[in-house]
Amino acid sequence: MATTARQKVGWGTANTVAIFLALVPLLWIVSLSFKDPATITDATFWPKKWTWENYRGIFKTSEFTRALINSIGIALISTLIAVVLASMAAYAVARLSFPGKGLLIGMSLLIAMFPAISLVTPLFNIERTLHLFDTWPALIIPYVAFGLPLGIYTLSAFFREIPWELEKAAKMDGATPFQAFTRVIAPLAAPGMFTTAILVFIFCWNDFLFAISLTSTTNSRTVPAAIAFFTGSSQFTAPTGSIAAAAVVITIPIIVFVLFFQRRIVAGLTSGAVKG
Amino acid sequence: MTIDTEPAVTSPAPVKRGRRRKQISEGAKAERRLGWLLCAPAVIVMIAVTAYPIGYAIYLSLERYDLRFPSQAKFIGLSNYGAVLSSPYWWHALWVTLIITAISVSIELVLGMLLALLMHRTLFGRGTVRTAILVPYGIVTVVAAFSWQYAWTPSTGYLSAMFGNGAPLTHTVQAIAIVILAEVWKTTPFMALLLMAGLALVPEDLQKAAKVDGATAWQRFVRVTLPLMKPAILVALLFRTLDAFRIFDNIFVLTAGNNNTGSVSILGYDNLFTALNLGIGSAISILIFICVAIIAFLFIKGFGAAAPGAGK
Amino acid sequence: MKTFARRVAAASATTILLMAVLTACGGGSSGGRVTLNFYNFPDNSGAIQQAADTCTAQSGGRYKIKYNKLPSGADGQRQQMVRRLAARDKSMDILGLDVTWEAEFAEAGWIREWTGDNKTKAEDGTLKAPLQTATWKGKLYAVPYNSNTQLLWYRSDLVPTPPKTWDEMINMAIQLAKEGKPHLIEIQGAQYEGVVVWFNSLIASAGGSVLAPDATKASMGQPAIDALTIMQKLAHSPAADPSLSVQMEDANRLAMESGTAAFELNYPFVYPSMKADKPDLFKNFKWAQYPSVKEGEPSHVTIGGIDLAISKYSKHPDLAFEAALCLRNRDNQKVAATKGGLPPTLANLYDDESLQADYPFRKDILTALENASVRPQTPAYQNVSIVISHAVSPPTSIKPDKTEHKITSQLKDALVSKGLIP
Repeated sequence: MATTARQKVGWGTANTVAIFLALVPLLWIVSLSFKDPATITDATFWPKKWTWENYRGIFKTSEFTRALINSIGIALISTLIAVVLASMAAYAVARLSFPGKGLLIGMSLLIAMFPAISLVTPLFNIERTLHLFDTWPALIIPYVAFGLPLGIYTLSAFFREIPWELEKAAKMDGATPFQAFTRVIAPLAAPGMFTTAILVFIFCWNDFLFAISLTSTTNSRTVPAAIAFFTGSSQFTAPTGSIAAAAVVITIPIIVFVLFFQRRIVAGLTSGAVKG
Repeated sequence: MTIDTEPAVTSPAPVKRGRRRKQISEGAKAERRLGWLLCAPAVIVMIAVTAYPIGYAIYLSLERYDLRFPSQAKFIGLSNYGAVLSSPYWWHALWVTLIITAISVSIELVLGMLLALLMHRTLFGRGTVRTAILVPYGIVTVVAAFSWQYAWTPSTGYLSAMFGNGAPLTHTVQAIAIVILAEVWKTTPFMALLLMAGLALVPEDLQKAAKVDGATAWQRFVRVTLPLMKPAILVALLFRTLDAFRIFDNIFVLTAGNNNTGSVSILGYDNLFTALNLGIGSAISILIFICVAIIAFLFIKGFGAAAPGAGK
Repeated sequence: MKTFARRVAAASATTILLMAVLTACGGGSSGGRVTLNFYNFPDNSGAIQQAADTCTAQSGGRYKIKYNKLPSGADGQRQQMVRRLAARDKSMDILGLDVTWEAEFAEAGWIREWTGDNKTKAEDGTLKAPLQTATWKGKLYAVPYNSNTQLLWYRSDLVPTPPKTWDEMINMAIQLAKEGKPHLIEIQGAQYEGVVVWFNSLIASAGGSVLAPDATKASMGQPAIDALTIMQKLAHSPAADPSLSVQMEDANRLAMESGTAAFELNYPFVYPSMKADKPDLFKNFKWAQYPSVKEGEPSHVTIGGIDLAISKYSKHPDLAFEAALCLRNRDNQKVAATKGGLPPTLANLYDDESLQADYPFRKDILTALENASVRPQTPAYQNVSIVISHAVSPPTSIKPDKTEHKITSQLKDALVSKGLIP
């Protein structure tokens, strides 16, 4: 169907409005990061005086770079493990019948619901006893445990929608089980898996409470916790410029990650055999 | 729980009372084993990490235990719960929490659906639109909250300048509105993402068929698309509501709970970490958990009849 | 896309390997001399790191002081330390405590008492008020490192002679407002610790205190009503900054630098800032003592600062005591004053002429410190602070009699940690 000019304008306007509302507060952060510290308290949106000083400042010591590496590594590993384990469990929940299914669902919901503030101190005690305090596993293990409920729920909802008979149909058409799985089922499962991956990754990336409680040095401190250690020019001045610069720097991997995965979701949809 | 669809492949095992053991077929047994095996790693990780902490939190809630007066620790049963439930601070925080939850989730559902439609259907620039819409969710929450707080601070922020420099963060109602704004901006992408993935699974052909039958866009949306999206909507709504009820980061940075803007999580945090009153803090946490459990139960019951069997 | 089984195997193997490596790597310290872990607020100026290095060198190879940074906010610092002390963490030795935490940490059994020779050395030459903050139930639990106190900063082009009392200052401001000149009085009015400092300074200057000396009940009374009356008067006068209810120290500094204010009650950090940011205004930027409440009597400003305590679970307490005394000795406090702008706690440093360039107001700070008051000393200080800050902020909501009554009745429960805090 040919697209009319009116349709184009309509969608174009909608695009612009959505992008504007989503990005204006982000642009405010970018603007803060370029403001000279002396003019940072001007109530203007754009800086009167542009400077790279804030960025130079956060990379002066290796603390922030270390925090960045910790964040990326811990989030990636946690996401990988959580998605793998959640896929297995979600597959079982969506396709198989076995007693205890309700219990599993209930338990994961229970874990997702329990307020993390009361879990932090006992977790801290356990990790100290196991000598895991202030290491990467110290954060990876809780992130996996708390990311699993979201993963299991999301993936089982998606897996339920997949027409599993297609696998049988492909086998009858002569495909090996492996081919049937990779050519037919996997592309249909892809959207759900990548959606879950994005959600779990961002959960790990954003977390502040566990990061500040279960780490104490740059060995494993992630970016949200590292920001709490930024200082301003005096003990009473908030390090606004540094925080803004740090925020911009850590949002770039997210943009890359999202750009990469959102294309995978589309690819999964268009290459699948969703007919009838 | 109601996620118990009919398995698509194997034959169901006939289960009769009293003669259960003899009637289960080999196939069903194999299926069971496979099911448990696949679930085992996830279950083991979740239990290993949370069993002791949750148990310890429950135990603490039954004790009078203030870290600053360690010699006075003793078991007092449900007295902490009595103290919390009879305190006006708890009820006010609960009220604030419910308002924030209800309003922000409603806005996010509508906005999320609109954005999902946009991300799915827009004619051009899909990659850009999708990325732009998802970016707010990826910004570290405390940083985003900090930027909002800065924007609303009198004489230093651009939003404050636009609205008359009246220090809105110190007036309860205005501050709560700003908190809701920050929440909605930050987590609508979550809803939008899940709803878009749900949208993607609605077969195009059904839409085309309905169009051929003469249905308007709105009718197609309500009669064809929405019902098929119910599972995705349920997951999105459920998790979003659970998270909204436990809101903490945004309020903590924007107002620190001052001027009566604290949620129940902030109340729990203050009593647990600031006052070091482990008994009361744990009791508040358990009560938050009970509230959230009630909400989840209501949701699943409400959606329950519609959730399984969708899409077939 | 690989099959599940292969992915699971690969992921599990990687994880286990990673965990094993990391667990083995963590926790092995080098043999040889003792490492004393010093935890303090993050210091950008380099003064603390310099002190740690100097004292390590002076130890003659017996110990090495490692400076570990805590989060920049006081609450974050307290949380980190409390969590680990409650878990009896042996890896902390010297702790930098805010002046309001000593009673709490001592009562919880987390810090050691200073006795004998160490106590004598700690008290020698130290100012009275900082020493008081380190004392609980008659015992010394920490050694003062640095202090901090507010002065009255004013513009001499608008105000030829500085006011001596609060009433005088408010009247001057009202007069300036009538003349259409900059007239605001900058003070911290947000709902946080800063407003508690304001209230405490006023009640102490009025001759009273928040708590009775034994810290088991409230004192308050008429001095509290006097203090609240002043706060209410300021809040409703033209001298009040429109953002008073949300202002903290830095906002006051900025308002003063923007030229809209005539008076400011703030810490000395505003001096170098004004010098750098607004050289024109700096020419007329002068200071005086914090205004008093009673005519003829000096004011009693409430001090801040950091004291150094030794953890109960430290593995090397003797060395830690010695290291702490070194970290806060005369030379290191001088460096902290010049590099970091932190007022010292040793009296004779204030006579030191070499501080003149950066610290021209040091004699006034000494006077303030000699007359200073401290915040209520009780293990339940956090509760007390919250009760007060919620009652007096926003300052426009104060009604002296009612507010005094409200604070007194809430203090009763707060002191024994009964019930919830908001």
